[in-house]
Amino acid sequence: MSINLSGKTAIAGVGYRQYKRGTAPLPERGLLTRAIVDACEDAGFDPADVDGFVSYGDDHNEPVRLMSDLGTKELNWSAQVWGGGGGGIAGTLGLASAAILTGQAKAVVIFRALAEGNSGRLAAAVMAHHLNDHMVGVGLVAPAQVCAMRAQRLFDYHGVPRSVCEELVRASYFHGSRNPEATAYGKELDLDVFRTTRWIAEPFRLFDCSRENDGAGALLMVSDEMARDLKKKPVKLLSVAQGTQQGWGDLIENDDIDLYATGGFRAIKDKLYNMAGLTPADIDVVQLYENFSAQGIASLIDHGFCTYENVAEVVRYENLIAPGGGLPINTSGGNLAHGFVHGFVTAVESIRCLRGESPNPVPDAKTCLLAGGPGAPTISSAIFGVD
Amino acid sequence: MMAQMVNGQLGAEGPYWDALAQGRLMLPRCNGCGKWHWPAVWRCGACGSWDHAWHEQPLAGTVFTWTRTHHRFAGTEGLDLPYATALVLLDAVPIRLNGLIEGDESALAIGAAVTGRTAFTQFGKDKIPSIRWNLA
Repeated sequence: MSINLSGKTAIAGVGYRQYKRGTAPLPERGLLTRAIVDACEDAGFDPADVDGFVSYGDDHNEPVRLMSDLGTKELNWSAQVWGGGGGGIAGTLGLASAAILTGQAKAVVIFRALAEGNSGRLAAAVMAHHLNDHMVGVGLVAPAQVCAMRAQRLFDYHGVPRSVCEELVRASYFHGSRNPEATAYGKELDLDVFRTTRWIAEPFRLFDCSRENDGAGALLMVSDEMARDLKKKPVKLLSVAQGTQQGWGDLIENDDIDLYATGGFRAIKDKLYNMAGLTPADIDVVQLYENFSAQGIASLIDHGFCTYENVAEVVRYENLIAPGGGLPINTSGGNLAHGFVHGFVTAVESIRCLRGESPNPVPDAKTCLLAGGPGAPTISSAIFGVD
Repeated sequence: MMAQMVNGQLGAEGPYWDALAQGRLMLPRCNGCGKWHWPAVWRCGACGSWDHAWHEQPLAGTVFTWTRTHHRFAGTEGLDLPYATALVLLDAVPIRLNGLIEGDESALAIGAAVTGRTAFTQFGKDKIPSIRWNLA
């Protein structure tokens, strides 16, 4: 028996709270409770009736501890996607959808919360999953450094021009500068600063790297049928895929030579599009998890939007911005310019842009691809749609 | 001696750490099908054998990729900034190993030839056995 989950579950509510790193007004679990209640209010749904929870990236907030604050009547199901980094972000949607479609839960909250006061510096919290003596013995302790080594191959071996990273970062800041919720609100990218600011780990300078924020985010998923009776336009999950392939994974930098500089999404690309019955040309807008600029580019290539050869024709500032661009990306500013709570803003904006609630609307957008955290040992992506 | 990692989970690579701490590079090969495994495995996923032997290898190869770190990430206080890390494809076996670059870095590029030595890296209060690569 095989069930195609496409179109059978939907996101009914969205909650997101973001603060400057280290300045959250509440500890992590308090922020998370706020975000979950926000998502429920957005949907017109009683938080006490949420009966399932799922997260990723080694989140510390065990759902059972949320019950008193939410008034949870029954906790019927809870889970977490394996893996560090943001590789599991879209995988949560597949788990939640499966739980709902098999009757294990009726209303599932997908969440992630991070506050420096609880989990330490984000880079360290994210990296804690991966660190070992192979890495620390050679000075590698942060995602930026490992992604930098892969970026170096993308540029110098596969011939991707470095200039495409600038195009992506510029488009992100264009969108972020128009988003009152974004860290970059009111601030467009100064190209001279981008090109000359301090190195983090070559080839990455400061603005090639995602932000670090305190915050929490939550999506409320229910069946498509239930979603139609709630307050907001349902945003259906059309497709989701997670996993990895032989030659990629947790291999202390011994991934296959052809895969090493990718984001790891070749493993799921066909499954993702086939489940939805769509192709890259059918995608109206992309919310791209870009921990670092080059990994965002690798992810776009993996997902079939361009190739090593034509990447510079597709990844152009004018083509990436909304409205008007042919491939609008990160319409809220993304991890680079909106903010970074382990990438959750990309999931949040996937829903908002299809509801017409984006700070940079894409007129008549019907499909949105959420490209999950690139470069992680296991990765995941999803496609959403509206009628 | 039984190897322990200070950070992270120890897999099947115990003999690697024991050897590295003693100044030698040892790598594992499947006695069933001859495949070199890195990371090390207990069971060969290619042929199903549980029988592996560790072989000493020379520290020489070519740069597969590299980065130069300028930002002071927590835990790296034992290293002077900036420092370069290179992932090197060994000449003798199809395995890549990371090491810190020491000496003249002017020839650092993908494809550059290197030779290596073993050393210890100060990480917090611990000394971690690790590799140093020198550009030829």
